[in-house]
Amino acid sequence: MGPEGAGTARHTARWVGITVLVAAAGLVAVLATRPPAAVSEVQSPLVGKPAPPVAGTTVTGAPYALVPAPGRYTVVNFFASWCEPCRTEGPDLVRFQFEHQSAGDASMISVVFDDTVGAARAYQSQLGATWPTLADPAGRLALSFGVRAPPSTFVIAPDGRVVAYIVAPVSASDLDKIIADARSTNP
Amino acid sequence: MTIRKFPLWSMLAVVLVVALVAGSGILRSAPPSAAQRAAAIESVVRCPSCEDLSVATSSAPTALTVRSTVRQLIAEGRTDQQVKDYLVARYGSSIVLEPPASGWSLLVWLLPLLGGLVATVAVATVLIRRRHAVDEEPAGADGTEPLDGVALEERRRFLRLSLADADAEYLAGDLSDKDYLALRHRDMLRLAALEARTPEVSGAAALRPARGVIVADQPVGGSGSTPFDRRSGATEDPAPADPTGGAVAPPPRRSHRSRRSRWYLGGAVAAFGAALVVGVSLFATNRLPGQTPTGSVSLSQDQQVAQSLAQAAVLENQGQAGQAAQLYQSVLDGHPDNEVALAQLGWLEYQTGRSGGRASLIGDARAKLNRAVRLDPGDFAARLYLGTVLWQRDGNAPAAVEQYGRFLADGPPTALVDQAAPLVRQAYQAAGEPVPPSVAAG
Repeated sequence: MGPEGAGTARHTARWVGITVLVAAAGLVAVLATRPPAAVSEVQSPLVGKPAPPVAGTTVTGAPYALVPAPGRYTVVNFFASWCEPCRTEGPDLVRFQFEHQSAGDASMISVVFDDTVGAARAYQSQLGATWPTLADPAGRLALSFGVRAPPSTFVIAPDGRVVAYIVAPVSASDLDKIIADARSTNP
Repeated sequence: MTIRKFPLWSMLAVVLVVALVAGSGILRSAPPSAAQRAAAIESVVRCPSCEDLSVATSSAPTALTVRSTVRQLIAEGRTDQQVKDYLVARYGSSIVLEPPASGWSLLVWLLPLLGGLVATVAVATVLIRRRHAVDEEPAGADGTEPLDGVALEERRRFLRLSLADADAEYLAGDLSDKDYLALRHRDMLRLAALEARTPEVSGAAALRPARGVIVADQPVGGSGSTPFDRRSGATEDPAPADPTGGAVAPPPRRSHRSRRSRWYLGGAVAAFGAALVVGVSLFATNRLPGQTPTGSVSLSQDQQVAQSLAQAAVLENQGQAGQAAQLYQSVLDGHPDNEVALAQLGWLEYQTGRSGGRASLIGDARAKLNRAVRLDPGDFAARLYLGTVLWQRDGNAPAAVEQYGRFLADGPPTALVDQAAPLVRQAYQAAGEPVPPSVAAG
C-alpha cells in the first residue's frame, strides 16, 4: 500500500470514528432525556382520553356504576389482598377517602385484580375501606384500563377524562397533588 | 461470483425465491378460520403481567382475559388490526410483541435492512475492485512504473495463479474454449511483457514453470509431464499461435462427459429445489397465519386445547371459576364438540346458576351436560354432573341413579367417588335401589 492508500485508510478510520462517536452521543442523549424509572406516574394511552365505563358487581353482590358528578374526581384503584405494595398504600387510601368524603370533591373505587372475592372482601373490611369495591372476576375492567399488575391507580376528572395513571403505591398527598394539578390545568 | 457461473447461481436464486414465496404463505387461498386468526393474534400479543411471554403461551389470568377478549372481538367482526388496536389503546404499543413501525421503533425495522444493504454494497465493492485488479493492466507492465525485485516476483506469481485458475475452470467445464483461449492469451502476454522488461531481476529461473502451471511452451495437455497427461482426449482444435512463441492449446477434455456432468448437477439442484418448495409448502399449510416458519415454538391445535383444558382445571381448583369458565368457553369457540370443555363448563354454569338462583344458566348447563354425555357416553365426569343436576335440581331420583350408575361403571378415580358418595347414596335410597358398595360406606 502506497502513501496514497495509507491516506485513504486514515480518512476512512477518521470517518468511522466520527460516526461511532455521533451514534454514542445520540444514544446518551436519548437515554438521558428519558424519564427516570423511579417516577411512579407513567404514560398510558388512556391518559387524556375518556375513562372506560366503571361498572359491575361489588364484592358484597350489589350492582354499581360510576356516574360522573360535577366537581368530583374519582380515584380507581386496582388491588389484590396478596399484593404487599397494596397493603402499603391501603391506609393512605382510607385517609384520602376520609378527607374528601365530606367535601365531596373526590371519591374512591377499588377493583379486585386477580384475587378471589372472599379474600378481597376480607382485606377491604380489615382495612376499613367503606367505598365500593368491584369484583371483576373475569378481569374485564382491568383489561379495559390496561392494568398489568396491582397496585394500579387511575384518577378520573369530573368530565370523565383520565388525568393520571400510577403503577406504584400511592399516598394521599400524591393524589391531592395530582388532583390540584389537574384542577389548575382544567379549572 | 463470475458471469461464467451465472446459470448455476441464477438457478439457486430462483429456488430460494420460490421457496421463500411458498413459505410465506401468501399463496394460500383459503381464508383462516376465526380460531386460527385468534391464535395468530395471541401469538404476537404480550401477556400484560408477564415478561416477554405471549398470551398464547402464558397461563396468567391477565393473559386468559386478553385471549378471551381477542376471541370476543373477532366474533364481533373486528379485523386483526382492529383487535390489536383495541389492545394497544389500553395497554400501549408494548402490548404487541412486534415493535411498531413508527417513531423510534421504526429503527428496529430499518437498521437491519440498512445494515444488510451496506454489507451488500461493501461486498460488491470489494468483489468489483478485485475484478478490476485482475482485468487492469498490471502496474509496471507498460513500462511506465519501475518494479523492484519483490514486486516483480509478486506480479509473476499472480499471473501464474491466474493461469492455473483458468486451467482449472476450463477442465471443470466452467469456461468455453473461446473464453479459455482469450484469458490464457491475455495472461501469457502479460507474463511475457513482464519477463521481457526485467530480465536482470528475474533471470532464467523466472521462466521456470511452477508445478501444475501452464506456460507458453508447456500447455495443459501438451507433451510433457503435466498432471493432465492421463486425459486421453484428442486435441480438438489447432492451437492458435501465441505471441510469446508458444502454442496455446486448450487442454483436451471430455466435453460430452463435462456437459453430462452439468446436466447431472442442474438436475440435482432442480430436484433439491423442488423438494424444498414442496416441503416448505406443506409446512406452510400447517402453519397458522402470523406464525414464523422458524424461530418460534408453536403448539398444534390439539396441544393448545389440552393446554387450555389443563389451565382451566388449575384455575377451577384455585377457585377462579370465572377465569376457568372463560377458558372452557374459548376451547368451545374453536372446538364446539369438545366433551371435556362442555362437561366442565356445564358444571360451572350449574353451580353458578344454583347459587345465584338463575334458571336460564341452569338450563344452559343442562344442555351442555346432555351434549357432553351424547358425545362421549363413557365420560364419567359428565355422567356425575348430569346425575347431580337431575337429583339436586329436579329431584328425579330414577334418572339420577341411571347417570350415577354409568358414572360408577366407567371407573372414576376413588377420590371423586368418595366426594360424590353422599349424593349418590341419597339418590339410590330415594329411588329404592340398592346402594352400590363403592358408595355405601360413610
